[in-house]
Amino acid sequence: MMEPTVPAPQLDTSTDPQVGFRPPGALDASSALLPFGERLTTRGAAHLLRRAGFGGSQTDVERLAVLGVSGAVDSLLHPSVDEPAFTDFPDAALLYDPKKNRQAAQLWWLDRMLRTTRPLSEKMALFWHGHFATSLQKVQPAQMVGQIDLFRRQGLGRFPALLSAVTRDPAMLIWLDNRSNAKAHPNENYAREVMELFALGLGTYGEDDVREAARAFTGWTLDKTQQPVFVAARHDDGLKTVLGRTGAFGTDDVIAIIVSQPVHQRFIARKLLEFFVYSDPEPELIEALAQVYALSGADLAKTVGTILRSNVFFSPRAYRAIPKSPIELAIGTLRYIGAQSVPPNLPYQLARMGQEPLNPPSVKGWDAGPAWINTSTLLARFNFVNALVAQTAPGKNGQPALPAPNVAPDDIVRRAGMDPGRVAAAIVGGAVQDDVTSDVRVTLISYLNSATPTAGTQNPLPFGPENYQDKIRGALALTLNLPVNQLD
Amino acid sequence: MQRRTFVSSALSVAFLGGNASRALAQVAGAAPVLPAFGQPDNVLVVVQMAGGNDGLNTVVPWSDDAYHRVRPAIGIPAGQVLKLDGRIGFNPALKGLNELYQRGKVALVQGVGYPNPNRSHFEATQIWETASPDRPQQYGWLGRYLDKRFSGGAKPASLFEAVSLGDMLPAALVASHVEVPAIGALGAFGYNTGRDLASKQSAGVLYDGAKAGQSPYLAMIAETARDAYHGGDVLRAQTASFTNKATYASNGFAQQLALAAKMIGSSAGSKIVFVSIGSFDTHAGQRAQQDRLLGYLGDGLLSFYTDLAAHGLDRKVLTLTFSEFGRRVTQNASNGTDHGTAMPVFLVGGAVKGGIYGEHPSLTNLDQGDLPFATDFRSVYATVIERWLGRDPSDIISGAYPMLGFV
Repeated sequence: MMEPTVPAPQLDTSTDPQVGFRPPGALDASSALLPFGERLTTRGAAHLLRRAGFGGSQTDVERLAVLGVSGAVDSLLHPSVDEPAFTDFPDAALLYDPKKNRQAAQLWWLDRMLRTTRPLSEKMALFWHGHFATSLQKVQPAQMVGQIDLFRRQGLGRFPALLSAVTRDPAMLIWLDNRSNAKAHPNENYAREVMELFALGLGTYGEDDVREAARAFTGWTLDKTQQPVFVAARHDDGLKTVLGRTGAFGTDDVIAIIVSQPVHQRFIARKLLEFFVYSDPEPELIEALAQVYALSGADLAKTVGTILRSNVFFSPRAYRAIPKSPIELAIGTLRYIGAQSVPPNLPYQLARMGQEPLNPPSVKGWDAGPAWINTSTLLARFNFVNALVAQTAPGKNGQPALPAPNVAPDDIVRRAGMDPGRVAAAIVGGAVQDDVTSDVRVTLISYLNSATPTAGTQNPLPFGPENYQDKIRGALALTLNLPVNQLD
Repeated sequence: MQRRTFVSSALSVAFLGGNASRALAQVAGAAPVLPAFGQPDNVLVVVQMAGGNDGLNTVVPWSDDAYHRVRPAIGIPAGQVLKLDGRIGFNPALKGLNELYQRGKVALVQGVGYPNPNRSHFEATQIWETASPDRPQQYGWLGRYLDKRFSGGAKPASLFEAVSLGDMLPAALVASHVEVPAIGALGAFGYNTGRDLASKQSAGVLYDGAKAGQSPYLAMIAETARDAYHGGDVLRAQTASFTNKATYASNGFAQQLALAAKMIGSSAGSKIVFVSIGSFDTHAGQRAQQDRLLGYLGDGLLSFYTDLAAHGLDRKVLTLTFSEFGRRVTQNASNGTDHGTAMPVFLVGGAVKGGIYGEHPSLTNLDQGDLPFATDFRSVYATVIERWLGRDPSDIISGAYPMLGFV
């Protein structure tokens, strides 16, 4: 029998919906990942805070800008304040209430994203949630919360340690059935997804590699209290051959073999670039970041830090180059207007926008990029912003259906006074960093001056002290619903 | 028929503004070679009976002693059953469906399922909606049909070619490059600024004037934003010309069907419509809950086909029902049933060859206490795709499945 020839593994991008959405212009690969040497503008700081977090108020952006690129990235990568564990959140008990626990888990996390002082940790948790996509459809809410907590703690650590922790994470042991993977009755589900979705990508390994890696992953299961436990009697301790290496491998041996593959390094580099920089990155850029990742010892903080400090990250090609995910859009809006809590129906709103947290559509996670945008999901975004910011959907007895913090309108009046032209300029400056053409400002001024009834007022009035909050909220909603604000 | 297609396409194009040249080229271009029966302007309505519908209390084996033995409390007495033959009959709540059946407009396919059935609501629903029991599939079975039908850059003439009449897009309609809107209600679909009309007007100015920038995403978002902004008004204008000519009950399912008739019969021109009714997850107190829902189902479909017939459309519309699984044969201790396997599927329409297809599953030859399936659900799908929608199912449904005779 002939030995099958194994072609050098390449990244398979044929199923990536973001292919074709690379920004125009040329990449200078030699300098792309070198530190950006120029001053950090407020526009640059807003870009950094959107990508490495969930955006913020205009004041948050201005505070970040004064730190400069290096100081700002350091403050995100190494925040000084530790945050409490998930058990400390106010409604932790609800996680064990079978009628309310799903929504409680979702709101717990969304609330974290809104109020965190460590936005990059939370952003990495969202990244890994999409990567190791586990769902409430099969896993209990408290276990899902435990997995997100793991991503928050280890999401900027070393990848092998992260993958090792994920392998023994209760939610993952249930989600991909590795708890039933034992020497006597192997289950390949987890091993297959580790190779296909978590670390290597389709076409870079063989069926034999899946089967043999599954044998190495045997032994992990859950005890009666649903805690992970390694049962030696269930582990297959025989010789395995994985990706050309042979030994009596266990979980961490196989992880080390996978992480040493150049195709793994490119796989992770590509995923990070699509999340942080732009869609469909050039092979030279992937290669350059894969080198950084490999030389760092698969250190995610160093790799992400290199991206966030880089020329390519601050280049015009990367600016407003990725569609916001629904979670980024919603949390970014709430942070911008200074909300102190998330609306209780936010999980439902996010589902309508196409991204219900803790409930990804499949083990592949969400298709990002163009897949976020269609008429239904855009309408859900627009109407979310209209209801939240412009208060178009009042609740019972004329009360607002959603919390209506006045931080943004008052902040704008403090900066611009009561002149509609200056107010419009302050709105497009603060909400979308002036990334609009002049006719947008003209339309906003005409809206501010229009004397039609707005929500909560009975009498049509031009812009003034009686109605400035309604008018500014209306103009803010219009601005936040601009196509450019759908882009990060 | 060709002419009507052209007129409705042209109307939709006029309303939506964009894509006119592509859509017209598609209408004027060479007709694809079609199998004997299918037509691309045939309409398919899919009814999801969410939660797992108990097949044995839907189509009742009333003469089988085993049925009454395993269901002492929730079994339907033989005298109440709407008998179809000497062995089986409908749950009495299905009187509307029975009326359609007696007119020869209902095909009943018995014992539908697939090997190694899954009992998780989520996973079994995914399996039925993606037609892929063995491997997760990114796109739904109807999404793949749409992608094949509109391949090579072709776009549907109407934004509402395929729609889900609910807030969420079901897995069945997830497509790679055909957009499928989810419309909860006619009035709620659209850009909503409440009483602030100035804001609505200003948004129109902003979207219509939005300029493409450097990112290739911006042009796409600007175009979609215009469609989204105008979509609700377009839909309301298109459907205004259609008046329902039947009385629909006030329950949500009947109202979904009334809207479906408008979307199909007006210049909205919908060809694939997904509606849902539930929950059929009757672990306790099954009779009251399931009978109420089956009543909604049968009466709703009777109204729907009365309406369609009055518009001369009943022969153009095929309705397919499914549920993610049937239920256990034996009742449980709470006068309900737990998650099971095979169940009956209904096909309704003026062009359907009514009658009973396949054998009722045996209640004595069980597979670990569950009904063995007789017909693979992919046979039903493949038949619908080839003989109703006019496409080769082999590039949509993986594997070869025998055609059934219901159309």
